[in-house]
Amino acid sequence: MRNIFPRWSNTVPVKVIVSLGMLGGAVVAGVTYYATPKYTRVGYQPTQPVSYNHAFHAGELGIDCRYCHHGVEESSHANVPGANVCMSCHLNVKADSPLLEPVRLSYFGEDSDKDGKLSEEEDLNGDGILNAGPSIPWVRVHKAPDYVYFNHAVHVNRGISCVECHGRVDQMVEVHHDKHLSMAFCLDCHRNPEKALRPLNEVTNLSWEAKGDDEVDPLIAQVHAGLELKENWGVHPPLSCTGCHR
Amino acid sequence: MIKEAEQPNLPSGKEYWKSLDSLAETPGFKEWVSREFPEGASMLEGVERRSFVKLMAASFGLAGLGMTGCRRPEHVILPYGKSPEELIPGVPAFYATSHPTGRGFQPLIVESHQGRPTKVEGNPSYLPYGGSTDVYSQASVLDLYDPDRAQGSFERQTLKSGVNRWKKVSTDSVLASVFDEAGKGKVAILANRSHSLLRESLKKKLASSGILWFEHDAIDYFSAENKLGKSLGSAKALRAVPNLSSAKRVLSLDNDFLGNRESNELSNSRAFMAGRKVLKPSDAKRMNRLYVAEADLSRTGGVADHRLRVESSQMIGFASLVASELLSKLGNPDQSLRMHLKNIRSFTDSQKEWASEAVADLIGNPKNSVILAGSHLPAEVQLIAYEMNRLLGAIGSTINYIEIEPSAENIRSLASKISDGSVERLVILGGNPVYQSKGFIDWENLSQKLKFVVRLGASIDESSQIADFHLGQSHYLESWDLGKTWDQSSIVPVQPLIAPLFDTISEASLLSHLAGEKKDDHSLTEDLYSQYSNGANFKDFLRLGVWTTKPVSVSSLDATQALLSIKPGKVKAPKLTEDNLEVVIIPDFHAHDGQYANNGWMQECPDPISKLTWDNALLISPVLAKILESKHAGLGLLPKPTMLNKNGQVAPDVAQFDGGKQKAPVVTVKVGKKSITAPLYVQPGLADFTLVATLGHGRSNVGRVGQGTGYDATPLLSDESLVLTGVTLAPTGNFEILANVQEHWSMEGRAIVREANADEYASDPGFASHMGAESHSPPMWGKDQGKSLQDKATTTPRGNSAYEHPDHTYEKSDVFGLHQWGMTIDLNQCTGCSACVVACQSENNIPVVGKDQVLRGREMHWIRLDRYFSSSPRDGADIPSDVQVSFQGVACMHCETAPCESVCPVNATVHDEEGLNAMAYNRCVGTRYCANNCPYKVRRFNFFDWNKRKTDELYQGPLGSTNDNLVDMSKNPDVTVRMRGVMEKCTYCTQRIQESKIRTKVKAQRSAKLSTGEDGSSLKLGHSDLKVPDGTIKTACQQVCPTEAIVFGDVSDPLSEVSKLKSNPRDYSVLGYLNTRPRTTFLAKVRNPNNRMPDFAGSPHSSREYHDKAHPSHHGDLDSAH
Repeated sequence: MRNIFPRWSNTVPVKVIVSLGMLGGAVVAGVTYYATPKYTRVGYQPTQPVSYNHAFHAGELGIDCRYCHHGVEESSHANVPGANVCMSCHLNVKADSPLLEPVRLSYFGEDSDKDGKLSEEEDLNGDGILNAGPSIPWVRVHKAPDYVYFNHAVHVNRGISCVECHGRVDQMVEVHHDKHLSMAFCLDCHRNPEKALRPLNEVTNLSWEAKGDDEVDPLIAQVHAGLELKENWGVHPPLSCTGCHR
Repeated sequence: MIKEAEQPNLPSGKEYWKSLDSLAETPGFKEWVSREFPEGASMLEGVERRSFVKLMAASFGLAGLGMTGCRRPEHVILPYGKSPEELIPGVPAFYATSHPTGRGFQPLIVESHQGRPTKVEGNPSYLPYGGSTDVYSQASVLDLYDPDRAQGSFERQTLKSGVNRWKKVSTDSVLASVFDEAGKGKVAILANRSHSLLRESLKKKLASSGILWFEHDAIDYFSAENKLGKSLGSAKALRAVPNLSSAKRVLSLDNDFLGNRESNELSNSRAFMAGRKVLKPSDAKRMNRLYVAEADLSRTGGVADHRLRVESSQMIGFASLVASELLSKLGNPDQSLRMHLKNIRSFTDSQKEWASEAVADLIGNPKNSVILAGSHLPAEVQLIAYEMNRLLGAIGSTINYIEIEPSAENIRSLASKISDGSVERLVILGGNPVYQSKGFIDWENLSQKLKFVVRLGASIDESSQIADFHLGQSHYLESWDLGKTWDQSSIVPVQPLIAPLFDTISEASLLSHLAGEKKDDHSLTEDLYSQYSNGANFKDFLRLGVWTTKPVSVSSLDATQALLSIKPGKVKAPKLTEDNLEVVIIPDFHAHDGQYANNGWMQECPDPISKLTWDNALLISPVLAKILESKHAGLGLLPKPTMLNKNGQVAPDVAQFDGGKQKAPVVTVKVGKKSITAPLYVQPGLADFTLVATLGHGRSNVGRVGQGTGYDATPLLSDESLVLTGVTLAPTGNFEILANVQEHWSMEGRAIVREANADEYASDPGFASHMGAESHSPPMWGKDQGKSLQDKATTTPRGNSAYEHPDHTYEKSDVFGLHQWGMTIDLNQCTGCSACVVACQSENNIPVVGKDQVLRGREMHWIRLDRYFSSSPRDGADIPSDVQVSFQGVACMHCETAPCESVCPVNATVHDEEGLNAMAYNRCVGTRYCANNCPYKVRRFNFFDWNKRKTDELYQGPLGSTNDNLVDMSKNPDVTVRMRGVMEKCTYCTQRIQESKIRTKVKAQRSAKLSTGEDGSSLKLGHSDLKVPDGTIKTACQQVCPTEAIVFGDVSDPLSEVSKLKSNPRDYSVLGYLNTRPRTTFLAKVRNPNNRMPDFAGSPHSSREYHDKAHPSHHGDLDSAH
């Protein structure tokens, strides 16, 4: 009697097993990569319409974060500055740099001769109002989901530094996503705020570190200082749903 | 006590019932009661299981293709080119403005998010309203974002078929042609009535250029004032402004002063209900008392201590009876007037007894009693009311008659001027006069004679159909104006919060254009203000939003001669019978006079009394229903008597039902030559031969929301009276299904609303705790029974349970609640105005679901207003005519031991440390177990993507078209917009709580930093620094409430307002015996009847019904059942 199965069929079970194994591996890898909180765009660094250099402005020049992100102490949003904030310096500094063209376009708008006044030829839509130009389309780097209501004001005012979520922006030439900002990330800090609390004067000082005695590990020094602040200020970050989800 | 348990469901026919159907125990109703969601609510419509599985398989396949969709899309952030000063994105701004209505300008503070008005609140600087608003102002913000509004200006093009098409043209071009046409003369303006000062000043300018002015409104608050002024010999019209804060006794003659039929709802409710606050037993003696004689069951009638049903057409007879009683009791020597009134009066014996005792009570409180007559009643009744108020010493104390400008000529004189050719060009300003006057003016003919008609209106409606051009009218949140509140005591601005979204124009700008000065409304408003202000700053005025003026009031006018000249033969209406009915035409709760017909929030907000949504019905009394039923077999109006037998057996031959919903028989209503068809709805509390028809529905040219709702009552209208007699009814044999929410979520037969009379309350302040199952089966506190409210709220003791509840005290837990939130609702203060329902909808992004979905029981309101009826003992079969009404607002109770939380498989609903029953939408998988387990039935499920999909294409799912995104602009950015498949419910406005907590913390930290001068790290912040001060947080429903019935606050603070109210003996928990320990508790209702009145009962009907049911052994006739 001839064999029913051809010779090549001998290897089929092995091939099937190997293929299934690979498929399974791919699924596991995919889920691990895409479907867990760790996959949260850490390292995401889009190209911005204006190559603004944070390392230079915030690091080298030492401009405070709040100079541009002026809403951060009042509002839930930190606010991306309007073109007028850029132009408060760049009207004089590098006033003709081609890199700043989008900023000037947004700032001057209809005022094409840049004299601060609206002449009749400039008033293109005839409404008699000096209209600003198109907004600079900054690409969003950090984004909490729509159902998360993160509030900058309460964090910054209660001694949580920008660096805790945004990393050393003062060292980034172009801003990238530094921390994974998942719910676990939030809860870690909400459970142990002493790891992050610092004096209010140092909130925007991204390079600050808690100082203890020389032998003490800076981490331990931070926890010691943080616990004191926590006790003094009565810091009890919310851990229930309503703290962030409304 | 034990006996009660043996007889839990003894049908006695004397139960606390909520609707005719629940009374009837119809099969449809029983089904409703037994199911959490009505039939079909959880079934797929028209999709069989097989095809469903196929579809699912396909969608899984497609999901693979969409893997790239897992990547987050790239967002851009668009900052300003030049940031406006003082604007911080993310921080809402608030501006003072006002809502111009026919009932006066309503002072408002409007919340704006980055230039986008989202939420309307009352302006607390206007003291009579105290920061409250009515339901219409709450809903008005939605009109701004109505996709069906006139988005610009249009030219009419009539096709050969006679259908009008509208071609978009620029507003400027229309204005140019309007100006040209106005130059040709014979111009008239037809406007709705307004309280605008800006219009008044422009009107004068226009009059000097020969432009005639006419006014019309279907709901006419003004003509009674004109007539009263005229008959009292005053050159001005006279407006009766009640001052109810000092009123001890009020008699209302068909005057719905707490409801939408009259003008001053908010200030009346606020002042009157303040006189009904009883916080301690001694207050019971000081409570005011309300007598109401009315035809319709209004909200005012719902609050009344004594209510008499009198047909509106007979009100003149009744008013004369009251007046003659008053005169004789006062010993007035003027015999001639007394004799004259006796000729006019008409009454039955019981009415005389009622009136006599009521009058005696009014006289017993001189200067603190007042008589109010409805504005739809004839001038003679107004006159009688004026004279009685004068005799009672009420004028100047509880009521003021103030002088106002008489209103302009009416629509009928315009019609005659058009027919004789003296008006050839017409400008129609706002309102909807063609629709409202089609019953008595032949517009088809008249419009032939007009050479040029231009219409300024918010949307293209019935009145636009005769116009050559339609000018889009700017919403009040897009325009400037200056006007007066109804009581003339304040001047308020209308300040825009947003530039016009479309190419529209405001009324003032158009009028200024017509007058030839072509100024914009902003400069007009500022100029006009400077005339009133004595140099006060315009910007300061805008910040405050109120400028106080003093109205001129009259007191000394004598009405005797005017009263003597009333001819009895002329004013007396013939007696009503089943063949000579009266119909009272009133503004609809939803649509008012038609202006809110396209407002989804208003359409879906249930009528407080009838509980109808998306519809109006012709209301008839139970007596008339019985007569009709006997005349027309199979009408299907009433439950059959056999159904109400004492065994509770339900006869199968019930009235017409469809899917558990009663079909309403449609009838033809005839008044002379005019007729309409309308569905009938039996309303207890109506006068026997009164029919109540409401305006505003059944419109022919309306947006998508208002299409096909209700019936049109305007053909019946005349310009003489809103009360018509000589009405007959004839069934058509057709039926209509009404979307009525009254049968949903019934809590029948238990002590849900607890009531007592003032005397009972004075002798037993804790009556509420002696009612309900918890009086003998209290919540299980165990050894902690005696602990204070604050202790119980923070530690949540488990009684004697072996399980320990997490202890959230500061000492024991790192996660502790600094506050413990709670709420009280004072049932004694609620008038049923329903403003809370719409305020909540606006604040919390609650979607509109449409009539079809309401019929399936899927409405989404987070707070609902339950309305219960109760009556004196009666025999099973009859629906009572005289009922007492109780309102109860019910939202999520935030139970401390919440039944919904223990059944959620994914922990989507859990407690937070401050006592909120949290709902995490992003965790919810939509099992709906929580809704099944909620004893209060306050959880709402998103069966569809209400916010995303069009209401009529819901069943097409993703294949259907998406909603117009203009509506998205009305959404509150601080609240998640929920998607399909998740549960939602009241959150105690957690967004407001969180914002306040954040602001308190920021403020405390800042002041610490400032006070130390350093970084503040050594400064100690205590609980008192970090706690939100009491009264800072107001929930949306609380903020809007005119009577302050709702109080929210921190229960763990013994000094907070809410804690004080919760320790009041009237405080009780609904279904407290379930040990749910709700954080929302109710304060029992106290009624204040007069024991000399013929309809006096020792306890409120509801309370007696409860006791009859709870203690049936006390009842002789039921003993045999044991």
